[in-house]
Order: sequence, then C-alpha cells, then structure tokens
Amino acid sequence: MNEVFFYFFAVLSLVFGLVAVTSRNIVRGGVALLGCFVSLGAVYFTVGAEFLGIVQVIVYGGAIIVLYLFALMTMDFATLKSEPIKMAIVAVGGALALTTSLLLFVGSSGIAESVKPSISGAEDIAVPMFFKFLLPFEAVSVLLLIATVGAVAIGRRED
Amino acid sequence: MSPVNFFVLSSLLFGIGLFGLIVRRNVITVFFSLELLLNSANVLLVGFSKLHGNLYGEIFVFFVLAVAAAEAAVGLAIVVALYRLTGSIDTSDFRRLRW
Repeated sequence: MNEVFFYFFAVLSLVFGLVAVTSRNIVRGGVALLGCFVSLGAVYFTVGAEFLGIVQVIVYGGAIIVLYLFALMTMDFATLKSEPIKMAIVAVGGALALTTSLLLFVGSSGIAESVKPSISGAEDIAVPMFFKFLLPFEAVSVLLLIATVGAVAIGRRED
Repeated sequence: MSPVNFFVLSSLLFGIGLFGLIVRRNVITVFFSLELLLNSANVLLVGFSKLHGNLYGEIFVFFVLAVAAAEAAVGLAIVVALYRLTGSIDTSDFRRLRW
C-alpha cells in the first residue's frame, strides 16, 4: 500500500513541478510549486519520515511559498513583459536536463538492497540532532538570524 | 520498496529544475527551479536515510530546509530591491552590477 501512495504522490509532484517551471503566469506557478512541495511531504510520509513530511509542508508550503507570493504582490504584473521563447535555449536546456537525469538514474543501478520504511518522528530525530549535530544546529540558527537581518537591510527603502 | 524509485523521482525533479533554470528568464521562476533542485536532493537524502537505517540523512534534510529558507528570504529581498530599481524581473535586464 505504501508503494501505491509513493507512486501517486511522486507523479503528482512531478506534474506540479513541471507546471511550476513552465507556467507563464507566475502566481499559478507558485501555487503549483506549493502542490509539488505538499506532494513531496506526502512522499516522505510513505517511507515513514513523518517529522520531515510535516516540516516540509510547514516550512516549504507555509513559509517559503507564502514569502514568494508575498513578494510577488509588490510587483505590477501588467508592466512585466512576456518572455520570448528561444527554441535553441529550450533544446539545450532539455538536452542538458535529460542527460543529467539519465546520469543520476544510471548511478542507481548498483544498489541491490531495498528501502525499509520505518517511522521516524520528532523524538527519534531529536536525539542525534541535539547531541551529535548540536554545533551545526546552532550554526544554522545563527545563519537564519543573519539572513533575516540581511533581508531587512537589503529590502529597506532608502529615502 | 526499491531505492530506484527514489533515484527516478529525484533525477526527474532535478531535470525539471535544471530545465527551468536554463530556459526561463523570469527571476521568480528561476527561484522556483532552484527550490526544485534543493528538493530533489532532499528526496534522495530521505531515501538513503531509510536505505541505511540511520537518521543522519533526515537531519541533513532539516538543515537543507533551514538554508533554503534563508536563501529564499535574502534572494527575494534582492529581487524586490532590483525590481524597485529597474521595474523589471527579467534576468536580461539585470546587466548593471553597480548603481
């Protein structure tokens, strides 16, 4: 049953990702990206990574996408010019994307073991995070503070 | 469940993100593509974490989430500042690196 859900949400996230990247309407692209992230959270759930699934929906869906849509609201869409499509660039991008995908896929051929879904909730994650990875955790908190101050400093209107 | 599933999902997400990164000229959509690239790495990290039966991969995904949030905040601030300066979010209009 887990596999059925995995395939369903994997296909859903790929479709939403394609819409997000190719959509001409930016707001529609943002909402499609939200669907992609929520589907990926569901994919994490199918292998038992419960905490990550929840955090994915909250941080990516709730914080990052809202941040993007909020920034989009400060822009005037009527004055934005539509981008021309150059077939050469599309061909180069498609070829490069296909090659990279194939290379990554070929890398998986040597693995014979199988994934064992196991529940990992907040409690299981907390023990290694707060003991073995305490220093990176603190460094990330400082990074978030610096990013917040930097974002305010850059985005401030200078009079 | 075979780990190949995770490889296929991750590689396809990476391909989609790379395609958007190359083809699109809209800064916001380029940022969307970047998020897709980060997420493709996350999928693979979760898959390997479950494959090996330890949680270090999942903890790394947590750190990637935090760094992605920081990147989005600073990147969007830069884009909004550039939009105020040039009135456009097209990458081909961002040619001047000084003011």
